[in-house]
Amino acid sequence: MSAILEVTDLRKAYAGVHALDGVSFAVEAGSVTGLIGPNGSGKSTAIDCISGFQKLDSGKVVLAGADITGQPAHHNARAGLMRTFQTVRVYERLPLRDNLAIAAQQFDPATWVDELLRTARYRRAVEASEKRARQLIELIGLQRYYEAEVGILSYGQKKLVALAAALMPHPKIVVLDEPVAGVNPSRIREIEVALRQLNEAGETFLIVEHNVEFITNLCHRVIVLDQGRKLAEGTAHDIHNDSRVLEAYLGTTPEIAAAEMRAQA
Amino acid sequence: MTVDAVYLLQLTLNGITLGLLYALIAVGLSLIFGVMEIINFAHGELLMLGAFAMTFALPVVGLLYWPALAAAILATMLVGLVMYEVLLARLRPDEFERAILITLGLSIIIIHVMQYIFTATPRLVDTQYGFDGVDIGAIRIPWTRVIGAAAALVAFGGLYVVLRYTQFGRAMRAIAQNREAALMVGIRPRIVARNAVVLAAGLCGLAGAAISPIQLVTPYMGQFLIFKAFALVIIGGLGNIPGAIVAAVALGLIENWIGGFFEIAWQEAAVFVIMIVVLFLRPDGLFKRGSMRVG
Repeated sequence: MSAILEVTDLRKAYAGVHALDGVSFAVEAGSVTGLIGPNGSGKSTAIDCISGFQKLDSGKVVLAGADITGQPAHHNARAGLMRTFQTVRVYERLPLRDNLAIAAQQFDPATWVDELLRTARYRRAVEASEKRARQLIELIGLQRYYEAEVGILSYGQKKLVALAAALMPHPKIVVLDEPVAGVNPSRIREIEVALRQLNEAGETFLIVEHNVEFITNLCHRVIVLDQGRKLAEGTAHDIHNDSRVLEAYLGTTPEIAAAEMRAQA
Repeated sequence: MTVDAVYLLQLTLNGITLGLLYALIAVGLSLIFGVMEIINFAHGELLMLGAFAMTFALPVVGLLYWPALAAAILATMLVGLVMYEVLLARLRPDEFERAILITLGLSIIIIHVMQYIFTATPRLVDTQYGFDGVDIGAIRIPWTRVIGAAAALVAFGGLYVVLRYTQFGRAMRAIAQNREAALMVGIRPRIVARNAVVLAAGLCGLAGAAISPIQLVTPYMGQFLIFKAFALVIIGGLGNIPGAIVAAVALGLIENWIGGFFEIAWQEAAVFVIMIVVLFLRPDGLFKRGSMRVG
């Protein structure tokens, strides 16, 4: 396997605070990689900078061999890096089908002339887009809502719509920003299943998430950030048993906690 | 004062025509607001330029209405393109105040440059139709009014199709509804904004060209229209296109009725009285929900 996304020495400071202080990691093609860390560890800043919604102070972002450092978000999307957002972003007043069609239309080869003349190329592009949309909608289980405005869906369903939209144009990698935060527990399992199926079909994911169980079940590799630095990297199992990670999350390790409890008793 | 049915009908038909032309301006403003989150205060000047383009194009094409109309629309679209590339493209979406000052300044500059070049003398525009019209009983509606109203309706129909069924239209609605989500899927905001401005300028050019045989053409004709159009956009619910159209036609009617029965001064004040009342009663405008919106 080879790295589809490679980031090197990312640095970003806000008013003197180092949100990212030299973070490097790689995401293998076809993998599911988790990016975790306590609040303020730099996860969100990292993916905002990688996807182009924020500017890096320094560092390098390489997507499938192409340097995309400092490019705007719409450029990176066209290069094959799609993302979702922590607060769900969908087009509330457009039907589900249009939400997905919009995500794909930047990528079809048909120009506005093709569209005006309804050429074969345009019809092929529309057919392909509709087929993909129906597949993804089936996968996320929202067939009933194909023609409905997305505004009527629940929060968890909208998260699924955002996920489907990101997948529409067959991206090289999809970055998911807290895909299950605020989603009710029964749906978390559905999202997990959908993501696993997609991964088995060849999609690559980088997932930022607080839900450790979700990350553990799904990710091949996990990267842990703390205070703008990479604290640890490895399989979910490695990370679970890493005392530095526990310390960063809990502010303590089990050994110290046990010692403190003994001292108090 | 007795209300004469024929007179009332005449006022009503004139009001609808005028209202539809107002709607063209308001819809353009609404489009630009939806995509760029700015109010283009130089929008009235696009209408004035459209009217001037019509006055100059008509003699060249032997007073033929349609070729002159097409030329005027193209000319305003071109002005819109230059306006976007030189000024508006440099604005970020969060720079609302800067956008107000820049477009307001631009509006004043355009007015005075036009006055310097072409003087403030009002121009009367003659077309192939002259004063011919359709006779309905005792009243006559000039062709220029009928065509103006019809052209506006066709333009709205076209706009609906573009917004609803084309990739460009979907991209505009996507940016208006959720900018980040649109960027995330590779929609290029500048290209969409440029196209929206050019499209809005074209609608304005159509309004200016269509209004020129109906009203006197002067460099000042767009000056107060922008405030009316702005009021309409707000009454209709910001970014709500059908709302703006309904509000515009209603305004055209109210203006004509008031102007027909009261002192003419009341006519100009009416729209702003209505706007203030509406904003107090319904801060989000009359048609916030339930219709097709850009934004």
